[in-house]
Amino acid sequence: MPGWLAVPRDWLASFGDITKFCARVFGELFRGRVFVFFGETLRQAGVLIVGSTIVIWSLCFIIGLQCGIEGAYLQRSVGAPAYAGVFSAWCDLRELVPYAFGYMMAAKVGTGLVAEIGAMRITDEIDALEVMGISSMTFLCATRLLAALMVLPFLYLGGVGAGFFASYLAVVQQIGEVSSGGYFLIFWMFQNPPDLLYSLIKGMCMAVVIVLVGCYYGYTASGGPVGVGTATAKSMVFNTVAVHLIGMLGTQIFWGFNPNAPIGG
Amino acid sequence: MVRAVADRAFLPTKNLLEQVGDMMILTGKTIMSALRPPYPYGGEFVIQFLFALRLCWFPLLVSTVAFGYGAPGLQAGNFLILFGSLDRLGGFFVLASVREFAPFVTAVILAGVAGTAITADLGARKIREELDALQVLGVDPVKNLVVPRFLALMIVTALFNIYALLFGIFGGVLATLTFGAPLGPFFATLLTNASTVDLWGSVVKTTLFGAIIAIVGCYKGMTASGGAEGVGRAVNQGVVIAFLGVFAFNYVFTQTLLATHPELSVLK
Repeated sequence: MPGWLAVPRDWLASFGDITKFCARVFGELFRGRVFVFFGETLRQAGVLIVGSTIVIWSLCFIIGLQCGIEGAYLQRSVGAPAYAGVFSAWCDLRELVPYAFGYMMAAKVGTGLVAEIGAMRITDEIDALEVMGISSMTFLCATRLLAALMVLPFLYLGGVGAGFFASYLAVVQQIGEVSSGGYFLIFWMFQNPPDLLYSLIKGMCMAVVIVLVGCYYGYTASGGPVGVGTATAKSMVFNTVAVHLIGMLGTQIFWGFNPNAPIGG
Repeated sequence: MVRAVADRAFLPTKNLLEQVGDMMILTGKTIMSALRPPYPYGGEFVIQFLFALRLCWFPLLVSTVAFGYGAPGLQAGNFLILFGSLDRLGGFFVLASVREFAPFVTAVILAGVAGTAITADLGARKIREELDALQVLGVDPVKNLVVPRFLALMIVTALFNIYALLFGIFGGVLATLTFGAPLGPFFATLLTNASTVDLWGSVVKTTLFGAIIAIVGCYKGMTASGGAEGVGRAVNQGVVIAFLGVFAFNYVFTQTLLATHPELSVLK
């Protein structure tokens, strides 16, 4: 049975290792060594698109529905149901779609990477790669990071779209206290391209951290099939907290003292 | 060609539906064997309860303070400042914290920390054939392993919801202090707007979240298979299914609660 301080102690112990690992993977990426394995990168990008798109978008969709109904009921309570768009625009774009994306990335992609690379580690495939003279760090981790950087911005924007569509469905079609024209007028008025860019940056920071942490826990897995399972569970603990911290820091940096709303002077 | 495409689309769907059905059956079995004597699961229940408490308290604390400070605190606070009504932030926290994010952040952390730990644990036992050995010894794995986890996770999730709610509001307090506003109005509007319906809704919701997480985790762990990657894959699929299940259930529950209790949408 773990002690009360098991989780924080574990993080403190592995934080330096994770940082070092991330720096090495980024080094491989920026020195361009990863482009030797561009074919593998494309394959990983394909795996990401085929395997994860639908799941991530469906979570964004559910969160969008949630934002929609909360917004509609909140604005009904202040007597301005026509302004439900304000709540859903901010809730979707700035906060909950990045969180939903982060959660599902951690659950689907992060743990998937740990399971896959961890299995390679314990069946000694990684050592076999090294013996053949292929840098396993480049071939396994850097290619996956590059694939994530190539694919995920588009995947994220699709997720934002899914969230917007769901909010529209919830507010206009389901609750039905505002016309679709009135909804969209307010909805688009309360967001602009910089907001989308900031939201994208937030989502991508989460995605990069999740991919790197997934690679780290997989790469350092030990202790047979059971060890892979434990490493997968541990990566999930780290990732959920990292997602929340990045979400908070992003909000503080991008919107902390600049609401960016078309109100007032 | 057509057949191949149809198979590709049809088989995963069929597989998914089968798994959902199996989980329903496991839920039914778990509830039946929890109620029917004998009750040998007391010790294991306590162990699992403490296990979840020890693993989750710290991630949940950090996450709820971060979420409460960022999303409802800063974002809604900025919006209210435009109207010069930052004192209303407390009222907004009833909606944001009690009704929405305390339950789902609790669910995310419990699914990500305790749920994955349960899947990894049971998956390890399945791979080492300990579960089969238990059955040979005449010990029912559902009664002795699933039931205590199911009950423990339901209770832990509901209790952690209160904890998450308090720390979420603490995040709101931090945001109010960041804006340099006094705390009195924050608490005044918070306490005027808070209602018991919101609170029990929140607790019932998280109890059921705990049930979903436990069943998915146990099911995926007990059906883990396939060599080195097996347990890792089980954890991966388990947490994805738990997230989708929890969020879909959250939507249905919140919508029902809001629609059946119109007094919730009266601002005081």
